[in-house]
Amino acid sequence: MLKKILPGDLIEVTTLDNKFSGKYFASPDKNHLVLKLNSGYNIGIKKSKIKGVKMIKKFNKKPVPKVKLETKKGLKTISILHTGGTISSAVDYSTGGVNPHFTPEELVAMFPEIKEIANIKSRLVRNMASDDMRFAHYNILAKEIEKEVKKGTNGIIITHGTDTMHFTASALSFILEDLPVPVILIGAQRSSDRGSSDAAMNFICAASFIAKTDFCDVAICMHKSENDNICVIIPGTKARKMHTSRRDAFKVVNGSNIAEISYPDCKVNFLGKHKKLEDRKLKLKLIKENLKIGLIKAHPQMFTEELNVYDKFNGLVLEGTGLGHFPINKIDEFTSEHSKIFNKIKTLAKKMPVVMSPQTIFGRLQMNVYSPGRLIQDIGVIGNYSDMTPETTFIKLAWLLSNHPKEVKEMMLENLRGELTKRLLE
Amino acid sequence: MIDYKKLGFKCGIEIHQQLETHKLFCSCPSIVHDENPSIEFKRKLRAVAGETGEVDLAAAFEQNKDKIFIYEGCPTSSCMVEFDEEPPHEVNSEALDIVLEIALLLNCKIVDQIHFMRKTVVDGSNVSGFQRTAMVGVDGYVETSKGKVKISSVCLEEEAAKKVKDYYRLDRLGVALVEIATDPDIIDAEHAKETASILGMILRSTGKVKRGIGTIRQDVNVSIKGKSRVEVKGFQDLKSIPIVIDNEVKRQQKLSKSVPEVRKAETDGSTSFLRPMPGAARMYPETDIIPIEITASKLKTIELPELLTEKAMKLEKKFGLSADLANELVKDEIDLENYVKQFSKIEIKLLATILTSYPKELKTRFDLDSSKLTKEHYKEILSLLNKREISKEAVIELMADAASGKKIDPSKFKTVSDDSLKKELEMIVAKNKGAPLNALMGEAMKHFRGKADGRKIMEILKTLI
Repeated sequence: MLKKILPGDLIEVTTLDNKFSGKYFASPDKNHLVLKLNSGYNIGIKKSKIKGVKMIKKFNKKPVPKVKLETKKGLKTISILHTGGTISSAVDYSTGGVNPHFTPEELVAMFPEIKEIANIKSRLVRNMASDDMRFAHYNILAKEIEKEVKKGTNGIIITHGTDTMHFTASALSFILEDLPVPVILIGAQRSSDRGSSDAAMNFICAASFIAKTDFCDVAICMHKSENDNICVIIPGTKARKMHTSRRDAFKVVNGSNIAEISYPDCKVNFLGKHKKLEDRKLKLKLIKENLKIGLIKAHPQMFTEELNVYDKFNGLVLEGTGLGHFPINKIDEFTSEHSKIFNKIKTLAKKMPVVMSPQTIFGRLQMNVYSPGRLIQDIGVIGNYSDMTPETTFIKLAWLLSNHPKEVKEMMLENLRGELTKRLLE
Repeated sequence: MIDYKKLGFKCGIEIHQQLETHKLFCSCPSIVHDENPSIEFKRKLRAVAGETGEVDLAAAFEQNKDKIFIYEGCPTSSCMVEFDEEPPHEVNSEALDIVLEIALLLNCKIVDQIHFMRKTVVDGSNVSGFQRTAMVGVDGYVETSKGKVKISSVCLEEEAAKKVKDYYRLDRLGVALVEIATDPDIIDAEHAKETASILGMILRSTGKVKRGIGTIRQDVNVSIKGKSRVEVKGFQDLKSIPIVIDNEVKRQQKLSKSVPEVRKAETDGSTSFLRPMPGAARMYPETDIIPIEITASKLKTIELPELLTEKAMKLEKKFGLSADLANELVKDEIDLENYVKQFSKIEIKLLATILTSYPKELKTRFDLDSSKLTKEHYKEILSLLNKREISKEAVIELMADAASGKKIDPSKFKTVSDDSLKKELEMIVAKNKGAPLNALMGEAMKHFRGKADGRKIMEILKTLI
């Protein structure tokens, strides 16, 4: 009987001591049947206690009324490319199934203000948690952006899971050379299905920013603080997710925000110079999808084995402590492992570019100040004076290995996409 | 008189009671009235498509107002969970145990696996835009003088933020609540009050619910034949329930057509419109909290307390007390047995009276605050009485002294020996020759209040004139 029942069907369940009627609710739990009672509450009924299940009414999904979207003259066209994540998560709460809202009509239904801001196009590129992103996905996104540019779009919004959004923003910054339209990545820290979601404000601010300004670069648009009143535009190569759960999780690291957008009036306030719209010809400089780049953090009690796994990699990013250090000094009988680590890094640096980055996140590397920094440079580790985040360093290394394999050392410290800041003010 | 049956009177009640434990989904203490808020933030809420794909009616109603909500919080009583900046932590297991206890006391069947839901709230009172709630028990009942009233559900949920002027305070947000809903089995307005009172007694029997103003709230659903259901909220006290219900019935009788709505109980006994009745589209699963299985072995660990009414009955029988006195003792949570053991020479009825009515008398007679009296104060005064070093008349005087911060000084009220009492009374009689007995008694009491038993004085005086 249970097999014939589909989510949403109205059923009556008789148990050893009770009787319930409600809608059958999809659930991954094998031991319980989940029922949505008329009161709206869900309850789980132990399957071993069920004596009988009776169908009362098959679920009849109401077709969503189609809204015909009209193109408004005088408004810019924005293409929205969805990749999944919290911002576009939508569960069908009558059945428990996943029912994402990605069509332009659905977006307009969710965020009606958008109609007055821009004409929108929208499609799903991938529906994934951002943790599952690989270089291939950056290339797919870049190609989708190129398609939209060719069709004459005025700007791109990418909806993205927040966990690795800063990696994607960095990757797109490098891949999209001579970008002729703005590309803004947005995410949400609270799902769109709740009244308090940050999705709407991030989306409306990003769209307004594209519609109202001549900005032309890759950036992230998220909340400035825990208040629903200002969004910030963070440069794509300088952003980092700095909190597990707050709305203002994304912060600019070693740099400054490009602009602020007040909400709900959507006034844009630029905070400095920005890259402007120009007639440029987009070139895709993709990242090789089979590249193996390592990322390892220095820590006490380190062992050489941790580095052995990188033997056959194409490149390695070290997250050094402090100004750019690693445990490489044998100072007593307990630290002989450090000589081995030193030799291991030396061997690796001969095979592949090994780049230092700061695990402190904030601040610049200064590897000449202490001897470990000097020693590690002597054996070929590059990156001194960089202020890039480990994540941007990682993406830049992959991109250089893909597009400028012979100039990795020189270009690593060359400012290509705003990823390096010469003057730090904090 | 209202003929409830003829009118097709339908009535059920809903009780919300705060639990005496920390907040439901974080480790913040439940300080319901916290002071000096230092956190402030602003949020907007949007109506979102509910489970049926339509925007919830009640949510849409508030959305039209296009409000910006300001929240104020104290770091002592709220954290990022209340700010909606952090997902809920694990459910407070103590709160769950209390609600299981309550559900079992109400003869409910316990749900095999409980699922927390998000109940859409877009008036700003929940920062998240929803209230988390889970159904724990179903199909219970309570016995009343007019028959069984079925309990349709017992739910564990979180409190909303408190509106203060034009902002919301976060101290109350997230406090654990039990919600008890009855079937529409209530027969008349008085019956609603009785049912609410019994439910309140059962809740207090656990000893694990908050006490005091605002910690319990009653909502009443009322309708008559041909009219829509109306939910009335915000009763000041149990006494106002029947008055408000009767007025609401009369109001509904006059309506030519009616729509389901939520109304507020006013202090004058009338009701006023609050908002439209929320639609069915207001619940969806709280996906941040995994469903909790309630096993049979878990239920075995839940111990059920003796009900307050049973406790009172026992006291009545055991010590021969009046029902009123027994109820007072139970209500004030006084462990009479323990006092009886300690002060075996004091008459039990007197002991019970001292413990229950004297504190109230302090207020009425002396305008003093009895809460200033400590357990040690009581112990000191009662042992004086127990050793017969003071008379029972001295008890309240000493309590008054203690409550006003004075030292307990029994020498003022040391019992006078029978001999010296007689001597002194003889002098009083001699001084007031020919005076009537009442006048002599008055004069004598001026001297001996608290030092000698009034009855004894009277007896001696009678022999002297």
